[in-house]
Amino acid sequence: MLVELAAEYNILRIDPVKFGFGLIALAVVYFFVARKAVPKVMKVLDERHDAIEGGIERAKTAEAEAEAIRQQYREKLEESHREYAQELEKAKEQRAAIIAEAREEAQAEARRIVAAAHAQIEADRQQAFSQLKGEIGVLSTELAGRIVGESLSDSAAQNRVIDRFLDELERSEGKQQAEVR
Amino acid sequence: MSADVRILAAEEGCHLFGDNGCGFEAPTVGMFFPEPWYGGIPGSAGIDLYMVLLLIAVGATLLLWSWFSKKLSLVPGRRQSVGEMLVLFIRDQISRPIMGAKGDRFLPFLTAIFSFILLMNFTGLIPGLLPVNSNLAFPAMLSLVIYLMTLVVGMKHQGGWGYVKNQIFPPGMPKPIYVLVTPIEFLSVFIIRPVTHALRLFATMFAGSLLLAVFAYGGWYMLNLTAGPVLSTVSVLFSGAALVGYLVFFVFEILIMVVQAFIFTLLASLYLNQSLEAAH
Repeated sequence: MLVELAAEYNILRIDPVKFGFGLIALAVVYFFVARKAVPKVMKVLDERHDAIEGGIERAKTAEAEAEAIRQQYREKLEESHREYAQELEKAKEQRAAIIAEAREEAQAEARRIVAAAHAQIEADRQQAFSQLKGEIGVLSTELAGRIVGESLSDSAAQNRVIDRFLDELERSEGKQQAEVR
Repeated sequence: MSADVRILAAEEGCHLFGDNGCGFEAPTVGMFFPEPWYGGIPGSAGIDLYMVLLLIAVGATLLLWSWFSKKLSLVPGRRQSVGEMLVLFIRDQISRPIMGAKGDRFLPFLTAIFSFILLMNFTGLIPGLLPVNSNLAFPAMLSLVIYLMTLVVGMKHQGGWGYVKNQIFPPGMPKPIYVLVTPIEFLSVFIIRPVTHALRLFATMFAGSLLLAVFAYGGWYMLNLTAGPVLSTVSVLFSGAALVGYLVFFVFEILIMVVQAFIFTLLASLYLNQSLEAAH
């Protein structure tokens, strides 16, 4: 009985009706799932992929832009720093130049004053000298008169006169010198 | 006639410690041959339970995908994410690693057969029903469709003889070896490959269902509450052990169903890749 049953149930026999219905079922599944549903899902997946990729692209562009602007700012800042340093340097130089110039001027002024003073002194001296020259003439004449007026016999008196004259002369000259100083 | 065995095994009153002396009748191959409702077709078992199971699988597949693909948006909800995850799973685990980007045009087909096979297997999880693929006709149908596809795609990409030549004359071998290799390759690629492709899926579903049936029938057979206090307790313990076994294998069976659907799709992708380009 069991052997008969086993002979009847051949599990490896392919049933053509089931095979046919299976084929129809697969065709239906293929048409609705593989041709309709899955491509729809894949399309959305692709769209999302594109959207995300586009977003990343945009973000990258914005980042690059920001970087460029930052670079510009940095350059400008550096430039202004450099300019400031240059100005400072220039100002220092100018200050030094002004100081030097002022000093030069002051020295020149001082020299000029000294020179003027010297000239004045020289002039005074010349004046005094010329004055003295005149006076010496008068004094000499006076002295000669005196010497001639008194008798020349008394040699002692002669010496006294000469001495006195020289003393006078000396005194007057010393007084003149003091005036110049 | 074919339903006799099932009726016998589940017959009322035939239990462990029963007084009518009948033994345990394990479920047999007969459970895969349900009584046809219309048997008048020559050369066929006729219209039977498998047609209903197939209808359930097709309906579930269409329902699932119409649910996955309706009202799609760029910012996915939970429902859409699951559908996308399934597509991406097939793409990143099967299509892309094996075929690369050029295999993306087969992605809808691979996704469709994966979900279809999975749901064909899952009909076996409904107690009392069987996986559609536990009848060889369905895996054979799937395998044949993929076989024909590989032939068409291969001949389109490598030329009629070119495809066959690339398959049976693997390059880079010393000439005399071809005497040995060519018949083996021919047999392997054009005959054994489609057969094993179908048999693998069929056999695992067949064996898994049989195993679950053994636990279910055995558990029912061992449950006898009319055999006196001591024997009843023992029978309940036995039956409980069978129930635990049933549940463990039920979970295991879910895993096998998923893995088999995955492997079938993976192999289909592998065969298609050999058609797309001369490998080796």
